[in-house]
Amino acid sequence: MESHLPKKGIFTASVLQNRKLGDKFYRITIELENKAKNVFSAAVPGQFVEIDVSRLALPPENHVPAQYADASQRNVILRRPFSFADIMVSDTSVVAEILYCVLGPATLRMKTLKTGDIVSLIGPLGNGFSIAEKKKTSILIAGGMGAPPLVHLSGLMKSQCKDMEIVVFVGAKSVSDLAFFDLKVDKLIKTKVSLGEFDKHKIKTHISTDDGSAGSKGFVTDVLKDWLLKNKPDAKETIMYACGPEAMLLASAALSSEFKIPCQVSLERRMACGTGLCQSCAVKCLNKDDGSTFYKLCCKDGPIFWSDEVVWE
Amino acid sequence: MGIEHKRIDLSINLGKASLKNPLMTASGTCGYVDELDDFLDINQLGGYITKSITIKPRLGNDVPRIVETDSGMLNAIGLANIGVEKFIKEKVPLMERYKTPFFVNIAGQIIDDYVAVADKLSQCIQIAGMELNISCPNVKQGGITFGTDPALVKQITCEVKKVIRDKMLIVKLTPNVTNISTIAKVAVDCGADALSLVNTFTAMVIDIETRKPVLSNRTGGLSGPAIKPIAIYLVNKVYNEVAKPAGIPLIGGGGVRTASDAIEFIIAGATAVTIGTATFANPDGAVKIIEGMKGYCTRHKFSSITSLTGALK
Ligand SMILES: Cc1cc2nc3c(=O)[nH]c(=O)nc-3n(C[C@H](O)[C@H](O)[C@H](O)COP(=O)(O)OP(=O)(O)OC[C@H]3O[C@@H](n4cnc5c(N)ncnc54)[C@H](O)[C@@H]3O)c2cc1C
Ligand SMILES: Cc1cc2nc3c(=O)[nH]c(=O)nc-3n(C[C@H](O)[C@H](O)[C@H](O)COP(=O)(O)O)c2cc1C
Ligand code: FES
Repeated sequence: MESHLPKKGIFTASVLQNRKLGDKFYRITIELENKAKNVFSAAVPGQFVEIDVSRLALPPENHVPAQYADASQRNVILRRPFSFADIMVSDTSVVAEILYCVLGPATLRMKTLKTGDIVSLIGPLGNGFSIAEKKKTSILIAGGMGAPPLVHLSGLMKSQCKDMEIVVFVGAKSVSDLAFFDLKVDKLIKTKVSLGEFDKHKIKTHISTDDGSAGSKGFVTDVLKDWLLKNKPDAKETIMYACGPEAMLLASAALSSEFKIPCQVSLERRMACGTGLCQSCAVKCLNKDDGSTFYKLCCKDGPIFWSDEVVWE
Repeated sequence: MGIEHKRIDLSINLGKASLKNPLMTASGTCGYVDELDDFLDINQLGGYITKSITIKPRLGNDVPRIVETDSGMLNAIGLANIGVEKFIKEKVPLMERYKTPFFVNIAGQIIDDYVAVADKLSQCIQIAGMELNISCPNVKQGGITFGTDPALVKQITCEVKKVIRDKMLIVKLTPNVTNISTIAKVAVDCGADALSLVNTFTAMVIDIETRKPVLSNRTGGLSGPAIKPIAIYLVNKVYNEVAKPAGIPLIGGGGVRTASDAIEFIIAGATAVTIGTATFANPDGAVKIIEGMKGYCTRHKFSSITSLTGALK
């Protein structure tokens, strides 16, 4: 683990707000107290926390979407990993923001967290993105629910790298899957370049949907490819950061090698511990010296990897 | 007058080893040596059982390697580990930082592998003993699990016993057999100093959308609270039928999450207790369990925890 990262631990935090965004998405802000304040104020974009939801009750039956009715019955024993979407540090408080999507028994329970509730967190975990301060252009690629860590990253880059151009591409299957865009749908449909979560950092976002229901029609990586061909950024002065479904990361890795632009990707694995104890989160990597493969741990060595070190399957 | 909380004696004798309390980490859930350092003081543990070590490094299975189930989880990590040589060079010296006795779990696919690993480890003064993981498939015998065949258990225990010098020998039993006492008896007859039980139960989870097993290995081992009542029954059975008559201590485990769970295993016949899956959600859980055990002894006027072993009425 790199030395600039804060030392992980097990902490409690109190919920400030837990609010629905659009159809499927939620934003939760939590305030860190005592020792956790110092630790989390030093967390890096791309790092994550493991949240304990095992003590939370399910929402009432009529608040459980039909497709999760069966899954909701399952008892949760393992924590769940979530990236930071922001960490707001002021003189008096440290507040972490998490954006999440309801997908199963754990996230259904998270929905019920209310202002003042106490949650248990393990973190900050993982390595985080490395910001290339000297580069002229940073390209951020978010697919589906991949936006949160990139929102965090863009905020930090905006404040630390004043002269850097930040270009954001966000893609989803359809307009209702455009994660974490706190905007009216009709406004989204009208425009191809819009502001969403990235708005608070005043960064314009290229939007695309697979079905064309908002923004440009097509995969986000196709839209990015057109942009690369048109704008021809200097490969040596440019870097890409991608977070989203594995297929999108694979396409980003392909663009990275085609345009010779280095690319960091944020990977997801099923994690039992998040802290390097269980070896469940293996990521197959390439040994560039002899071409052999080996496993790194997503939770400890990742979740951020260089796209050319990963063996894509 | 009750007994004073702080005067409760939690120390136990586990064959040749003296432990300051009955709580041990379970193999594969706590890393190699120091991975829990950020969460608890390893010196507070009664004992520490490392992940399985094999003669050659092993990469482990493809992902998904785990899946959560109702109140449990399946794992098929595939014995991913750095191999005995690197383990001795890089990890064993770290044990010197702690006073806690370390037990190294060893695994293999042929009997010669177990013997070679045990021979090498027996030369490390930092190690108190070894735990034989006999739940691995035996490649020579066409993949049947060592631990299900009394003749193989006899051979493996006797061969390893010959090379481990003064180290303590623990044999870890698989519950995936018709009569666990038959295997337990063989291990004891061949010189096991202690038995540990249970390892995980072979199980499967199917994704009904794809009709494929979720784990890449198809099957995995079930652990966690879901298995506890079965583990309690098996510990009590082996205690009555083998351990008590032979005067051999048992290390009980399977689903331990709380002090009450640990006490339940001790009443069933265990001298020591392991915490495994519960460490993932609560990496500092072991320390809380130790405190809780003291509380139970105070309430029930046991001045020493050893008198509780097998105290089932
Ligand atoms: C490093 C990391 C950061 C993450 N950050 C965020 C975030 O910021 N916001 C957010 O909404 N989600 C994030 N996730 C995903 C989040 O952890 C899962 O959505 C959550 O665990 C779902 O739990 P559940 O019990 O509700 O659903 P489950 O029933 O556990 O899962 C729902 C569905 O997703 C699949 N699944 C679950 N976990 C994984 C995985 N790791 N890889 C592939 N498939 C999986 C399951 O098979 C199931 O079909 C992150 C995951 C990782 C590993
Ligand atoms: C992720 C994981 C990895 C494990 N790896 C090993 C191992 O390498 N060797 C071994 O003997 N047991 C291994 N086990 C089994 C545990 O040591 C323990 O016997 C079992 O999980 C039951 O206890 P629990 O319910 O407290 O986890 C593993 C268990 C889990 C969950
Ligand atoms: S999730 Fe346990 S090692 Fe990565």
